[in-house]
Amino acid sequence: MSALALLGAFATLLFAGYGLLALLVRQETRFSLTEQIAFSWLLGTGAVSLFLWIFGLFFHGVLLRGSVSIVCLSLGFVGWRRMVPLPPRRTPKSFEIFLGIIILIEITIVFYLSFVHTLGWDGLLNWEIKARYAFANGGVLPATYFSDSGRAFSHPEYPLAIPFTELWLYLWLGEADQFWAKPIFPIFYVVGTFLLVALGKRLAGRTWLGLLLAAFLFFVPQITVEVGSAIAGYADFPLSIFYLAAIGCLFCAAEQHNTVFFRLYAACLALLPWVKRDGVILWTVAAACGVFVILRTKRSPLFFLGFLPGLLIICGWHFYLSTMHALQPADFLPINLESLGSHLYRIQPLFSAFLAEFYNLPTWSLFWFVVAVGVVYLLRRMPDPGALVLFTALIVPIFLYLLIYVFSSWPSYLDHVGLSISRLLMHVAPVGFLITILAVCRGSAKNPTRVHEGGMGTCGSAGSERTPMVELA
Amino acid sequence: MTSRFSYGRIAHAMLWCGLAVASLAVSIPKIYSGATAYPLRPTGPLHTCDSYLKFATGASGVSKDLISIFQSITASKRVIIFTRKDDAFSSGLGMTSAYLASPHLVRLFEINGTHPDNELSKMNPDEVAAVVFCRINRPAWLPAGKVFGSGLEVVSMPETVRR
Repeated sequence: MSALALLGAFATLLFAGYGLLALLVRQETRFSLTEQIAFSWLLGTGAVSLFLWIFGLFFHGVLLRGSVSIVCLSLGFVGWRRMVPLPPRRTPKSFEIFLGIIILIEITIVFYLSFVHTLGWDGLLNWEIKARYAFANGGVLPATYFSDSGRAFSHPEYPLAIPFTELWLYLWLGEADQFWAKPIFPIFYVVGTFLLVALGKRLAGRTWLGLLLAAFLFFVPQITVEVGSAIAGYADFPLSIFYLAAIGCLFCAAEQHNTVFFRLYAACLALLPWVKRDGVILWTVAAACGVFVILRTKRSPLFFLGFLPGLLIICGWHFYLSTMHALQPADFLPINLESLGSHLYRIQPLFSAFLAEFYNLPTWSLFWFVVAVGVVYLLRRMPDPGALVLFTALIVPIFLYLLIYVFSSWPSYLDHVGLSISRLLMHVAPVGFLITILAVCRGSAKNPTRVHEGGMGTCGSAGSERTPMVELA
Repeated sequence: MTSRFSYGRIAHAMLWCGLAVASLAVSIPKIYSGATAYPLRPTGPLHTCDSYLKFATGASGVSKDLISIFQSITASKRVIIFTRKDDAFSSGLGMTSAYLASPHLVRLFEINGTHPDNELSKMNPDEVAAVVFCRINRPAWLPAGKVFGSGLEVVSMPETVRR
């Protein structure tokens, strides 16, 4: 019974996501099956959690679940009518099959790990708590929760993408079950590998390279087994995947003037602040990159409208919190020049702490060293807007996170850093993989295979994919 | 031939192969120990809370009992939770108890030492539904409550408690 309910919950999520994907793609570009699944999941979790929150302002109980289900199924119907075109099938090479099997084994291990581990501390007390309380209150978070000082530890001000995805499972299951909330997180890992494979192919023109790098995702301990990893029920790994999707799409949009990827970028960008409060920082950086791409590629000013959904979510959530009289977070001092001036002495110790984290081998293995080598390669392509986007998307959030700790209100700000730094760096880690892919394929301008190899999967071919067959379909 | 197998290409391939092998050599022991450290645990709707509470108190299946205590007391009153400063176990017990105490409003007190007499004497007992002591000693004047393992005691207050 539980399995059937879970199947229903996941199916409706994917229907909603696929419908949105179909609306955004408008049959203009071909997407591989793995890309379609990945984007359907990301858009589906974002949309369903937003629907639950917005509809929850008007309904609760059966009506809430029913109305959201109807919207999901309607979007699924739209998706069925305007199916996203698939690229022509090709026979995979034996090395690709081998890498595919490795990835499959890794995914199985990640699912196994998520089931043997409990939810992490924040996974339970910051995220799942909201799903449980909303479930017990007919699908809506009780107003008293936001102002209850005794539960300030659970950060009532955090956004709801992850807890309301868990809530969606609970509504289908008919009970709040900490065990069955967990599959959400390894699914984000699956989506991460799918995106790396797909973006690897689009960036480098080689499927095996995407597969190889996706296989290496498993070998970053912070992503698989460390505190706050992909299996712990934290929002950090899902946030990193949304960020990967946004930046990857922006890279493709920048390279080939492709509007489909820009629309997908705008959708993933909008969901960043909805996944975690830190997502606002990533949103700012990714939006700045988007502005750069629009200006650099001389696109219509209408493209700036792509930032509107994200702004609406940020403002809407803050407005909601203020109307609920939510408690103000106490982890940081007010951000102003006075606080900055009086805490400027922290910069040097913070810089040392960040630097130490990069060569923390038990947590990161050689990942940051590999990324550093990749960045050196990337610098050689610097006039390229796509390369600049990747570089900025990797480096700027790290500096902003470092700056944020200057305003830490913890008695020991270095303890604050120690507890959260690895999770913050995880937000940009998948972008590090994209840089590595570019570096390994080395100087795509000199590499004609990038655009043509593999038929139609690459960014290069995506812009000119409006074939007569697609038009007719 | 020269362009396909130039020294640059060979160096490039060797660099990345070397990095890949070194990464695997560093990662595999860590991933292996992380992946094999835990056996399969029993599943259940409250399995994470149960694990935390078992870790902190040594008692099994505590979550369900805590929920039934909280459900049996007046919903409109607060649950007061006492935890000890600089004691991670106590703090963890307090937050897990607060999680399970829904829909009651809760108030967490972090105190120095293990005797909350001062704080308790200032409270209006009519507004309190239960008091939870997390690795804190219950004052002798308060009636005994339900004890879970070592370090967790819940005193429900069906009637006014007088000192």
